[in-house]
Amino acid sequence: MKVGTFDTRSGAIARALATPKGVIAGGWLFLVVFVAIFAPYLTPYDYDIQNLPNAFAPPSAAHWLGTDEFGRDLLTRIMYGARTSLSVSSVAIGISVFCGMCLGAAAGFFGGWFDRAVTVAVDLTWSFPEILVALILVAIMGPGVTGTMIAIGVAYLAQFTRLTRAQIMAIKSETFVEASRSLGAGHGYILFRHLLPNALTPVIVAAMLATGDAIILEATLGFFGLGAQPPTPSWGALMSSGTAQLFKAPWIIILPGVAVAVTVFAINLFGDALVRALDVRAGLREA
Amino acid sequence: MNRSIRGCLLATGVSLAAMVSMAPSVFAQEAVIVLASNEVGQPMYNPIKGTLLNTANSMIYDRLVAQDAERGYHPHLAESWEEAEDGMAWTFKLKQGVTFHNGEPFNAQTIVDWIPLFEGSENAYLVAAIEKVEKLDEHTVRFVMKHPDPNMLYNLASAFMGVPEPKAFVALGDDFGVTEAVGTGPYRMESFDIGLETVLVRNEDYTWGTPLAENTGPAKFERLTFREIAEDSTAYLELRTGGVDVLLSVPSDFLPEVKQEDDLKLLTIQGRELTYMVMNVTKEPFTDINVRQAAALAINQQEILDNIYNGVGLAADTFLISALPEAKIADEHRISYDPDKANALLEEAGWKMGPDGVRMKDGKPLEVALWTQSDSTFRRLTEVVQAQLKAVGISGQISTFDSAMIRDQYKSGEQQMAVRSYIWDNADIVDWFFGADRLGYPNISMFVDPKAEELRAAAMTGSKSSAERVANFTAYHEYVLSQFPVSPIYQPVIGLGYNTTRVSLPDSINAPDINSTVLIDMAPAE
Repeated sequence: MKVGTFDTRSGAIARALATPKGVIAGGWLFLVVFVAIFAPYLTPYDYDIQNLPNAFAPPSAAHWLGTDEFGRDLLTRIMYGARTSLSVSSVAIGISVFCGMCLGAAAGFFGGWFDRAVTVAVDLTWSFPEILVALILVAIMGPGVTGTMIAIGVAYLAQFTRLTRAQIMAIKSETFVEASRSLGAGHGYILFRHLLPNALTPVIVAAMLATGDAIILEATLGFFGLGAQPPTPSWGALMSSGTAQLFKAPWIIILPGVAVAVTVFAINLFGDALVRALDVRAGLREA
Repeated sequence: MNRSIRGCLLATGVSLAAMVSMAPSVFAQEAVIVLASNEVGQPMYNPIKGTLLNTANSMIYDRLVAQDAERGYHPHLAESWEEAEDGMAWTFKLKQGVTFHNGEPFNAQTIVDWIPLFEGSENAYLVAAIEKVEKLDEHTVRFVMKHPDPNMLYNLASAFMGVPEPKAFVALGDDFGVTEAVGTGPYRMESFDIGLETVLVRNEDYTWGTPLAENTGPAKFERLTFREIAEDSTAYLELRTGGVDVLLSVPSDFLPEVKQEDDLKLLTIQGRELTYMVMNVTKEPFTDINVRQAAALAINQQEILDNIYNGVGLAADTFLISALPEAKIADEHRISYDPDKANALLEEAGWKMGPDGVRMKDGKPLEVALWTQSDSTFRRLTEVVQAQLKAVGISGQISTFDSAMIRDQYKSGEQQMAVRSYIWDNADIVDWFFGADRLGYPNISMFVDPKAEELRAAAMTGSKSSAERVANFTAYHEYVLSQFPVSPIYQPVIGLGYNTTRVSLPDSINAPDINSTVLIDMAPAE
């Protein structure tokens, strides 16, 4: 039997959280998600109300991380920025996973000209760095959160299409699939009941790791002013505004940068723990 | 063996010592200059066709007339001039011994061939008053006028009337100013990478610099590299870390820091720049003059001056820089912060305050697209403007565009509102930005108004004397402001910052802006 049924996957998260790496990374990620969701209840400040005379105030009891160039509380902006960064990266990777799995599964299962066409398209996309694909798409669609989500989603589409296609091609000739087919199961039943559930585990792990990359990509686009538009905060945009104040108020660029770095590190660490817990490599060997 | 090793070491040491002692003079033959961020993206060094010309342009092309800091006129390629009493003719005596970079002589025939080249170009208005050019002798020409033009000397002193070599201009066509640029200036164009940098090499024959400069030529640096850096903070970091030698316009944020640094020096002059917010009068909700006026009155210029620009510069309340006589308009036409009136106007226009602080009318929120350039100073200013608009219930959705691309975006006419700036010190900038024949860009507001066109015609072509021109332009300026297509924001000073270990400059600047009059005096630091 393959690894990665729903039961083993839910157990894997518990196993991942039982490791020191998993608990540290999971703890940080839980904190970030909690802060992102409950930001309005955790801070007394509005993220968008300017107080210009209080600009560039250093960290103090009133403003733990200081204020930005418009006198806004930087901690509040970072908390709301987590909301932007996590939602954009999660939705973007969701788009990649959903579309990539559909395309990859269809290509791997049906083969023929469709498979060749998808493979060529994916290889073509794969030959460009994600940042370049995303920049081109944002330039076409215009800056903003929606454009960024779609751009990042498309940028990572090739990765999930390839992964799913490879999984499906490996599994579709297994005896349990043959057995199901000989019992009269149709394409749809085999694909959705047997193949996709068994292909899901590596995709989950890849999605976890890609989310970290997507956070960096979102921050990069935000840094160039192409992500969330002011006054909506995002970690990249916060860093970008901090570059102009590097000497006057270095905390404006450093602290959002730390938030990005620690969160991406935590995602990678947790992804690593998850890989071990799921024993994905063993599963892939079996496949 | 030992002797030969010692010999080698000694020779190496002597060579290194020689190289070290020579290094400053060798390296000092080249200076790297960063253009102002609002000069980024110039597509060509073509004074006839170009609508954006950067400072390097003045190093390639000389003008007939030069201006000093007080805006007085002085000879340059023209040694002297005389205006007929009725204003219907101007006679210019040209400097002798001047040659173009390609060896062609500069003489009366040059002027005869040059002026007609403006026909059909964006800059044709500069010579629109000239009926024809007559060659009186080898170095004397007369402009026969269609009507008097009190602005003639100003036009001749503008960057757009730098004199290109007419034969090369015709021969190269659209490539002129891109692959090759031929003028009489103190530098020749060696290379030009659009949006990146321009490399100029010294014109060794140059001896005809303006008397306003200490040095009349040749220039003291062999090569000048003009770099285009759109991001102000990056430009400043380059100056501070020694990557470049001169910033032509130090961003206001960094003025105090340049003053504090031991090896950096700051020269300031009254600026020619004006920052403003413009509204597209053909796009809802700005088709309603009440909404335009409300948005204009929502801008708190003093708050912006104090908090964004550290109090350096002036809060603007007219569309012209304050040094111009046409900026002295009646108080009722000045546009200054008045939030109460802004709110009242929006109420009157039917926009009622919604629960989230954004006004609503017929179920639609008062949301507008607010365009700006991507460099940090503009982004920062626009965020403050956005907050000030929000304070009266207008929600501005900021969209940032690359500095080099935004002019093309304006040409689409899709803009609703934008924060931008211009650099000019003549009242005809009102014609440039609000003339009905330049919709999209430069008429970003898409302002077309019959009365404005009448006043514009009177100002541009109906003035017989300087005093009449001032009066006509003042009336035109007042009328445009009364229609609120624009809200003035800020008038900065120009701060030229340079590295004193690499470059030396005179302590004062006798020019209305940074141009060849200033930069020809730039020398390697001793």
